[in-house]
Amino acid sequence: MSVKYVPVIWNRTKFAYDAVVLAMIGTYLGLYLYIAPAFQSVTKPIDGHIYWAQAFGSCVFLLLTVILCVGPLARLDKRFLPLLYNRRHLGVMTCVLALFHVSYVIDWYYAFSPINKYAAVLFSNTSYAEFLGFPFEILGLFALLILLVLACTSHDFWLHFLGPPTWKTLHMGIYFAYALVVGHVALGALQGAAGPLMSTVVVGSVALVVSLHLVAARKEKVTDTDSPPEDKEDTKWLDLGDPLSIPDKRALIVSIDESERVAVFRNGTKVSAISNVCAHQNGPLGEGKIVYGCVTCPWHGYQYRLEDGCSPPPFKEKIPTYRLRLEKGRLQLNPEALPAGTYVEPVQLSG
Amino acid sequence: MALKSAQAFFIGWAKKPPKGLRPFLWAISAVLIGAAAGVSFGLGVSVPDPGSGSFQWGAGYQVLEGVVESKPYPVLRVKPEAAGDTAKTILLSGVGKRGVQTRADPLDGQNVKVGGVMLERGSISMLQVGGKVQITPLDKPADSYTPQAAEDLGKWRLTGEICDGKCYSGAMRPGIGLAHKACANLCIIGGIPPVFVTTGAVQGTNFFLLADPAGNPVPEAIYDVVGRLVTLEGNVERRDDLLVFKADFATVKYNW
Repeated sequence: MSVKYVPVIWNRTKFAYDAVVLAMIGTYLGLYLYIAPAFQSVTKPIDGHIYWAQAFGSCVFLLLTVILCVGPLARLDKRFLPLLYNRRHLGVMTCVLALFHVSYVIDWYYAFSPINKYAAVLFSNTSYAEFLGFPFEILGLFALLILLVLACTSHDFWLHFLGPPTWKTLHMGIYFAYALVVGHVALGALQGAAGPLMSTVVVGSVALVVSLHLVAARKEKVTDTDSPPEDKEDTKWLDLGDPLSIPDKRALIVSIDESERVAVFRNGTKVSAISNVCAHQNGPLGEGKIVYGCVTCPWHGYQYRLEDGCSPPPFKEKIPTYRLRLEKGRLQLNPEALPAGTYVEPVQLSG
Repeated sequence: MALKSAQAFFIGWAKKPPKGLRPFLWAISAVLIGAAAGVSFGLGVSVPDPGSGSFQWGAGYQVLEGVVESKPYPVLRVKPEAAGDTAKTILLSGVGKRGVQTRADPLDGQNVKVGGVMLERGSISMLQVGGKVQITPLDKPADSYTPQAAEDLGKWRLTGEICDGKCYSGAMRPGIGLAHKACANLCIIGGIPPVFVTTGAVQGTNFFLLADPAGNPVPEAIYDVVGRLVTLEGNVERRDDLLVFKADFATVKYNW
C-alpha cells in the first residue's frame, strides 16, 4: 500500500522473492551456458550466439510457465500466495530475458546481410500459408510486444490510471503471449533445433498450465453454486445461518450472482460485510484475515476497515459495504451493495 | 506442521512471513531452483549435434587457381596441383550473406586466382572470397587449365532439404532445419549458393549444388520450400567432385 508513486516499493519480502527468482535464473543460465557444454555429444560446439539464444529463450518459456501456474496454485492452496505477491517483478525479469533472446537471434541469424536485420525478421520468411515453415519468429515478436506492454504497465500508477478491471483485462494478455510463445517454440526450436527433452518439457509445461487452471476453475465453480437461500418472509435478505460458524478473524464468502461476491467477516462478537473484491488488483478479500483490526487482502496486504470499507488513513482505497441483521439468531445479508466507503454498524453478537 | 502452514496468513509487507509458512517457502524455493538446475542441465546436454562443418581458420588465407564458372552459382574448378591429382570443384561465396555472382559473371570460363578462407563439411567445400586477392583473372597463365566437361548423370528423384551452402558448410552451427529457415532464405536471397542435402548418400555425396532445370539460379518460389524435408525430381550433372541438381520445382513433394 502506498500514498504516492515511487518506482519500486521495496520491502523485505520483495528482496527475498527477487533473490529466489535471480537464484533460479542464475542457476538455469549458469548450468546451461557453462556446465552443460562439457557434457554434450557434439562434433563441434553450437555457435555461441545460437546457444545463448536457446538458453535465454528456454528460460523465458519456463518462467512464463511458472508465472501462469502461480495463480491457480494460489487458488488451490493458500500456501502458494507468497508466490503471487511479487509476480510483477518475475514478469519484468522474464521480459528482460526475452529481450536478450531476441538480441542474440537478430545479431546472428539476421546479421551479415545487405538487408537491414530488423526488416529481415519480417521479410526473410514469408511462408504464411504453410504450417511447417511458418515464420514462427513473428509469433515470438508478437509475444515480446505483449510482454513489453505488460512490463511497462506493471507499475501501480498504470493500475490506478486504467482502473483494476481494465488493468486486469490488459494483463490477461499474458495468456495470449504464452500461446504465441508455445507456437513460436513448437514451429521453431522443436523442428529439429532442440533435443528430444525440449519437446517433453514443452508438452509437460502446457499440460501443467492447462490442468491447474481447469482444476482451479472447477473449485471456483463449486464455490459459486453455494448461494445462500433467501429469507422466506423477506426475499430482500439472504439467510447465512449461524454467525458463530464463521471462524474468528476470517470470512464467509457469499455469491450474490456470477459476478458479485460478498465477504462476511467475524471479528470476535462483531460481524460486518464488505465486497469480496480488493480495490487494488481485485484480490479475494474474503480469503484474507483481520489483522490489526482491518481486513487484509491475501494478495498484496491491502487493508480495509470492517465498518466502512475504507483503508485506514493516509490510504484512500474504498470498497462497497453491505447491511447485515440478526433474525432469531440467524445472520442475514441484504445483497444490495452500498456505495464504497458507506458506514454500516456491525452486527453485535451476544456473548 | 501442514495444518500450521495452511492456517498461516502471509502479508507481503510484514517483516517476516509467518513461522508456520517458512518451511514451506524454503521448500518451494529449493524445488524451483532445483528444477531450474535439472531442466537446464538436461536441455543443455541434449542439444542435437550441429555437424562437423566450420571455417578452416587454422589453414589460413588460401589462394587457389582454376577456372571460374558462374552458372548456376559461382564455383571454382580448381586446377590440380600435379598431374594425376583428382580435380576438385568448390563453391564460392562472399563475406557474410553475400554471393560473388556479380564478380564471377564477367570472368565466366576464365582462368583466375581466388583468395579467401575455406569452409568444409564432409565432401562440401566452399571458399569465402575476400582479402587481397578476391577473384583475379590470370593475365598470362603459365599453362592455362581446361576442366573436364560436365557429365550428365540422368534424371533423379531425391529426398532431402534445401539449405544455403554457406551455413550448411559450417558458417553457422546448426545451419539447417526450420529454425534456420529465415537465415537460409536471407543467404540465398543474398546470392549464397543453395544446396540440396539428401537424407542418404547418392554417388558418394550427401549434397548437391541446386539449380533450376535450365541450369540457372533457383526461382524465388523455393523460399517456401527451404528447410523442409522434400522430394524433388531433376537432372543431375557432375563437375569433377561436385554434383549439380537441376531440380524441377513443380515436382516438389513434402515429406512431412
